[in-house]
Amino acid sequence: MTLPSLMLASVLAAASGDAAGHGSLADAPIVAATAAPELAWVGWVLALPALSAVACVLLAMLRVRNKLPAAATVLALGGAFALILKLYLSRGPNAAPVIVHLWDWMNFGWGGGDWKSFQADVSLYIDSLTLLWMLFVTGLGTLIALFASEYMESERGPGYARFFFGVSIFLLAMACLVMADNLVLLYLGWEGVGLASYLLIGFYYRKPSAVAAAKKAFIMNRVGDLGLAVGIWLIWVNYGTVEYGELFQKLAVGGSDQGGWDRSLIPFCLMLGAFGKSAQLPLFTWLPDAMEGPTPVSALIHAATMVTAGVYLIARMQPLFMLHPDAMTTVAWVGGITALVSATIGMAQYDIKRVFAYSTVSQLGYMFMGLGVGTAFGAAYHVFTHAFFKALLFLTAGAVMHGFAGQLDLRRLSGVRKVPGFGIVSWTMLVGCLWLAAFPYSAGFFSKDLILVQAMSKPQFQILGWLSLATAALTAYYTFRVWFRVCAGPVSYVPGEEAHGDHGHDDHGSQHHDDHGHAFHPHPPRLAMNGVLLLICLGAILAGIPGIQALRGQHNWVQEMVYASTAVRAAGVDHVTTPVAFGMDPHKVVSVFGIAASLGGIAIALWLHLLDRRMADRIRTALLSNGLTRWLPVAMENKWYFDEIYHALFRLPLWVASHLLHFFDRHFIDGVLVNGVGRVPTVLGRLFQPLYNGALQGYATTMAGGVILVLAWVAWRWLGAGGAA
Amino acid sequence: MSHPLVMLLIPVVGAAATAVGPARWARWTAFLFTLAAFGVSVVHAAQFPEWHSGRFWPAVDEGAPLAAFGVHMQLGCDSVSLLLLLLTTFMMPLTIAGSFSAVSEREREYYAWFQLLEAGILLAFLSRDFIVFYLGYEFTLVPMYFLISIWGGQQRRTAAIKFFIFTFLGSIFTLAAALYVAARQAEATGTWNFALASMVDFASTQLTGREQFWVFLGLMAGFAIKTPIFPVHSWLPLAHDQAPTGGSVILAAVLLKLGTYGVYRIALPMAPAGGVETATFFGVLGILAIIATAMICWVQTDAKKLIAYSSVSHMGFVIMGLFAFNPVGLQGSVMYMISHGLSTGALFLCIGMIYERFHTKEMDQMSGLARHMPVWACFMVLFTLASLGLPGLNGFVGEFLCLMGTFVAEHDQPAGYPGVMGPWFAVVAAAGLILGAMYLLILLGKIVWGPLKVPGASADPHEHAHGDQGHGHLPRDLNFREIAILVPIALACLGTGLYPRLLLDVTEPSVRETLADYPARVNEFNAERGLKNPTLGGPVAAAEARP
Amino acid sequence: MSELAQPSAGIVVALVLSAVLFTTGLVGFLVRRNMILMFLCTELMLQAAALAFIAFGKMRGDTGGQVFVIFILTVAAAEAALALGLVVLLYRRRETLSAEAWQELHE
Repeated sequence: MTLPSLMLASVLAAASGDAAGHGSLADAPIVAATAAPELAWVGWVLALPALSAVACVLLAMLRVRNKLPAAATVLALGGAFALILKLYLSRGPNAAPVIVHLWDWMNFGWGGGDWKSFQADVSLYIDSLTLLWMLFVTGLGTLIALFASEYMESERGPGYARFFFGVSIFLLAMACLVMADNLVLLYLGWEGVGLASYLLIGFYYRKPSAVAAAKKAFIMNRVGDLGLAVGIWLIWVNYGTVEYGELFQKLAVGGSDQGGWDRSLIPFCLMLGAFGKSAQLPLFTWLPDAMEGPTPVSALIHAATMVTAGVYLIARMQPLFMLHPDAMTTVAWVGGITALVSATIGMAQYDIKRVFAYSTVSQLGYMFMGLGVGTAFGAAYHVFTHAFFKALLFLTAGAVMHGFAGQLDLRRLSGVRKVPGFGIVSWTMLVGCLWLAAFPYSAGFFSKDLILVQAMSKPQFQILGWLSLATAALTAYYTFRVWFRVCAGPVSYVPGEEAHGDHGHDDHGSQHHDDHGHAFHPHPPRLAMNGVLLLICLGAILAGIPGIQALRGQHNWVQEMVYASTAVRAAGVDHVTTPVAFGMDPHKVVSVFGIAASLGGIAIALWLHLLDRRMADRIRTALLSNGLTRWLPVAMENKWYFDEIYHALFRLPLWVASHLLHFFDRHFIDGVLVNGVGRVPTVLGRLFQPLYNGALQGYATTMAGGVILVLAWVAWRWLGAGGAA
Repeated sequence: MSHPLVMLLIPVVGAAATAVGPARWARWTAFLFTLAAFGVSVVHAAQFPEWHSGRFWPAVDEGAPLAAFGVHMQLGCDSVSLLLLLLTTFMMPLTIAGSFSAVSEREREYYAWFQLLEAGILLAFLSRDFIVFYLGYEFTLVPMYFLISIWGGQQRRTAAIKFFIFTFLGSIFTLAAALYVAARQAEATGTWNFALASMVDFASTQLTGREQFWVFLGLMAGFAIKTPIFPVHSWLPLAHDQAPTGGSVILAAVLLKLGTYGVYRIALPMAPAGGVETATFFGVLGILAIIATAMICWVQTDAKKLIAYSSVSHMGFVIMGLFAFNPVGLQGSVMYMISHGLSTGALFLCIGMIYERFHTKEMDQMSGLARHMPVWACFMVLFTLASLGLPGLNGFVGEFLCLMGTFVAEHDQPAGYPGVMGPWFAVVAAAGLILGAMYLLILLGKIVWGPLKVPGASADPHEHAHGDQGHGHLPRDLNFREIAILVPIALACLGTGLYPRLLLDVTEPSVRETLADYPARVNEFNAERGLKNPTLGGPVAAAEARP
Repeated sequence: MSELAQPSAGIVVALVLSAVLFTTGLVGFLVRRNMILMFLCTELMLQAAALAFIAFGKMRGDTGGQVFVIFILTVAAAEAALALGLVVLLYRRRETLSAEAWQELHE
C-alpha cells in the first residue's frame, strides 16, 4: 500500500464524514426563496449576450470585415462573468436562494387559488447551484470566445459575425436555462441552446455532412425535449405550479396524484430530456456528429457547458428525484452503461475530435451515475473539473487542426510536440489528458473518485462501481492513445485537405491547396489561442483545489455550494464500513483500483502507441483474423451500429410510412373520396344521358313519358286516397 | 359612423377606387387603403374599452334588422375577434406590398379583389349576427376564387373550383344547422332572431343533447373544412400550391382562422353538449392532422406544398386546444391562430420571393441559398424556427399551451375545467414537435444550407406569362421593399414570443365566456362514464380526499 | 266541386274530342319524322287545348276560356310563321325535312 493512497483514503473518509454531516440536512426543509428586487441588475447577465447578438447582426449588415463581432462578444461575455463573480462574492457560497423577477412571460390565471393560474415568468432563481454553473459557463464562454477570435479569423466577414452571433445566443440561452426560476423558462433555454447548437454545428453549411449533423442534433434533442415538456405538464397537473420556489415547498408536503398518470412518471420524463441534451443512451449519437462544427464550439457547447444541462436539470430537480428511488437507480445505470459503451467506441476512433466527443459522452455518463448513486456533489464537481479539462482538450485539438490544415486523423500526425510553436499546445494537451485519465491527484481524479466511492458504498451499485473502474482504465487508454500518437514520437505529419471546412472561403481555398502542393508549413497558434490555452490549463489545475482542500480536511466551496442548493437532498451517504473486496472498504478499493486503472491504461497506451506502434495494428489484425473475436473491433469501429439501428428502427419505417401516407392522401382521400364525391353529379348525369340523344322525338318521348308517369302517380294517389276514404 | 363600419367601408371603397383608377396606380391605391384600414383598426383597438371584460363593443345596431327575417347588421367585436381582425388588417398591406413585383397582369382587378377579400373577412370577424357572419364567411370565397383562377399556377382552374366547391359544400351544412337553431328559436319565442348572442343562449339551454349533437356536427362540417381538419383538408395543398403568393399568404394567415374562429365563437358555445360528445372524435382527428400531415410534409419536394401541409398540421394543434375545454387550451389555440398567421404567412412570402426570382418552388432545384441571398436566409430561418415552435418566438406559446391544455383535459382536473381527452392525446400529439422539427429542418437543409445551387430560369412559358416580368428588376438578395415587408412580421413574432402576457391577459375573459357551459356539461358527460370531477362535486370527491 | 255545374253531354263530347285531338297530335309528333308534319301535330295539340278551354269555360259559365283561345290563336299564328320559316331554313341547310338530320344538340 502506497503512502499517497493511504493518505487519500483517510482524507476521503474525512470528506465523506463531512458529507454525512451535511447529510442530516437532507431531511431539513428546503430554504424558501425570497424575492430580491434589489438584484435586478443580474438581468444584465441575460441582456449582455443578447446585446452582443444584436451587435453581431448589425455588424454583419454593415459588412464589417474586422474582428469587431468577436470583441463585442468577448466583452459582453466577460461582463456577464464579472457580474456573476460580483454576485458570488457578495453572497458567498451558501446564501439562501433568491428570485429576481424581470418580466411576465407566460402568465395568466382564471380565478384564485392553486391550479387556477399558470405562471412562467422571465425571472431568475439564484441559489448556489445556479452560481456554480454560471461561474464556469460564463468564464469558459469568455475564454473560448477569445480563443475563437483568432481561430475563426479566416472567416472574417459575415461568417465571423454569424459565428459570434451563435455564441452570444448560446450564452443567452444557457443563462436562461441555468438561472430560470421555472421549468418553462428552463425549457426556453433548453431549446435555445439547441438552436445555438444547430446554428453552430451547421456553421460550415456548404458541407452536407455539417447540415445533416446539425439537423440530427436538433431532432434528437427534440425527442428529449418532448420528455421534458411532458414532465412539465405532469408537474403542473400534480403540483399546480412550475416555479421552483413554490414547487420545492410543495414537494415537501407532497402533491396530489391527479389524473390518469402517476406522478412517479415525472422524473422519468425529465430524465428523457436530460439524456437528450446530455447525450446519454439512447439519445447520444448526435454528439459525436456535432463535431462537424468549428472546434471552439465543440469545446464550449459540446463539451464544457451545454451538454451538462442534463446534469443540471437532475441536480436542480433533486428533491423530486429523491422521492422516486427507482428513477435515481435508472439514472445511475444509464449513466454507467453510457460511460462504458462510449468509452469502447472512443477506443476505436481515429478522428481526434471524435475520440474526445466519445470521451465527453463517457464522462457525462459518470456525472449521471454520480447523481444516480446519490452524490450530487461528486456529479457537480465532475461537471466543474470536466468543463475545464475537456474544453482544454478540444481547444488543443482545434489548435492542432488549425495548424495542420484540418488534419485530425491521429494516424497521420506524430511528434507535434517537437514542431516549432506547438509546445504550449502539446503540454497543455498533456495536462488535459492526465486530468481526463484521472491521473492521481489531478482534479479529474478527485471528482471521479467521489462518484466511484459513493457507488461502491451502496451494495446495489457495487457492480456499477466495478464497471466504472473498468471504464476508467479504458478512458486512460484512449486518452493517451491520442497524446502518444499525436504529440509524442518522431515528427511526421500529413496536412489535412482543408476539406474539414475550417477555412470556408472559396477565394482562400484554392490558394491553400497550392500551398500544400509545394511545401506545407504548419502555422502555430498565436497569442490569443496560446494565452487562452494557458489560462484554461491554469483553471483545470486550480479546479483541483477543492479536492486538495478536502485533502487537508478543510471546507471546499464546491461542496458548500452544492449542499446549499436544492441538491442537498441527495447528500445522504450510506456508511459502509464492511469490506467490499479484498478486505478493503469502499474508499480504499476505489483509490487503489482507480489509481491502478489510470496508470494501467496509460501504460498500455504508452506501449501500444509510442514504444511499439505496430503492435496496435498487429493486435487489431489478430482480432480481425479470428472468427470469434472479429465482431469486437468491427462493432467498436462502427460505433456499435447505433446509427444504423436507429435508421432501420425509426427513420426507415417513418420514411416508408410517410410515403404511403402521402400516396394515401393524394390518391385515396383526395382522389377517391373528394374527387369521387365531386364526380357524383357527373356520374348521375351520365346515367340519364341516353335520354338526351339529340333526336327531337327522343326528347318528346321522354317528356311525354314523364308526363304520363306524373299523371299515373297523381291518379294512383287519388284513387288510393279515394279507396282509403 | 363607428370604427367597424369605417373599417368595412375602407376596403370596399378602396376596391372601387382601384378598379376604376389607372392601372399604374392600382398597387399604391390598394396599399394605401389597406394601410388606412390597419390604421383604423389600431385606433379601434386603442379605444377598445372591453379588453379585460370579454364583452362586445360597440354594442349598438348599425342598421335596422332586415324586416321579418331577424337579421341584424350588428357590428362589434370582443378581444379575440379584435385580435384576429388586427392580424387581418396587419397582414393585408404587407401582402399587397408583397405582390408588387409578382403581379404584372390585370393589376386593377387583382388589387380590387384583394380588398374585397379583406372586406369579407372583416365582416365575418366584426359581425354579431349569424347571417351577417355567414355572408362575410362565404363572400371570401368569391375573391379568392378569382385570385386563384386568374393569377394562379398551371392547375389554377382545378384548384379554384375545388377550393370553392369543397368549402361551399361544407358551409351549407353550417347554414342548415344554424337555420335549424333559428327555426327552433322562432318556434319557441315566435320571432326569428339570428343575433349570435340570442342563438347561443337559446341553443345551449333549450335544445336537447341529441339536437345539440347534430347541430354541432352540422356547424363543424363547414368549419372543419375551412380550418381544415385532417380528412377534409385536400383542397388546401392544391389551393396553396396554385394560388399566387399573396393569395397563399392571406389564405394561410387569415382565411383558415375563419374556420377555427367559427368553432370558437359559434360551434362551441352554441352546442356545448355536442362539443363534449364529439371532443374525443375531433381530438383524434387533431392528432391525425398533426402526425399524418407532418409525415406527408416530410416527403414533399415542393417548398410551397410543404408549408401548405404544415398549415394543416399546425391547425391540428389549434383543434386540440379548442377541444380541451379549459382556459389553457383555448388561450393556447387563440395564441396559435395569431402566431400561425404571422409565421406561416411570412414563410409563404419568403417562398414567394424565391419563386419570383427562380420561377420554381422545387426544393431539389435549389440549395445553399444562404450564400446567394443571406438576408433572405436570415428571415427564412427565423420564420421556420418560429413555425417549429422555438421558445422565445411566437409559435411556442400557442403550441405549448394547446398541448398542455390537452394534457390536463381530464375528468378530475383540479383547475375546475374537466375535459375528456387527457395525457395520452397530448403525448401522442406532441410527437408533432419532433416531426415538425424534422420537416422544417429538411426544408432549411435543402434550400438554405448545403452547397450553392441556383436554379436557372424556368423553361415553362406559362409561368413566364403569369409570373413576373419584374424578375429582371429584382436584385439577387432582397430589396428594400421586401425587407420592409418581412421586418414588421419578424418583430411581431419576437414580440409575441417574448411578451405573450399582453395577449394572454386579454383573451382570458373571452375564453371563459366561451367555456361558460362546459365544466358542468363535461362533468355530466364524464359521470355517465363513471368519472367525475371531485372539485365540481360527485362520487369521486369523497373517495379522494387530498392531503 | 260541389259548386260546379254538372258537365252537360255537349261538353263531354267536346272534351272527348279535345282528348282525341291531343292524342292524335302527340302520337303524330312522336312517330313522324317530317318536320312540317310534326309542326302540324303540335298545332293539333294546341287546338285540342283550346277546345278544352272553351269546353271548361262553358261549363263554368266563364268567358275566360274563350279569351284564352283568342290569345292561343294569335300566338299560334305568330308561331306558325316563325316555325315554318325555321323549317324552310333548316331544309336549305340539309336538303331534307327529316328531324333526324339534326342531332347535334345531344351531349
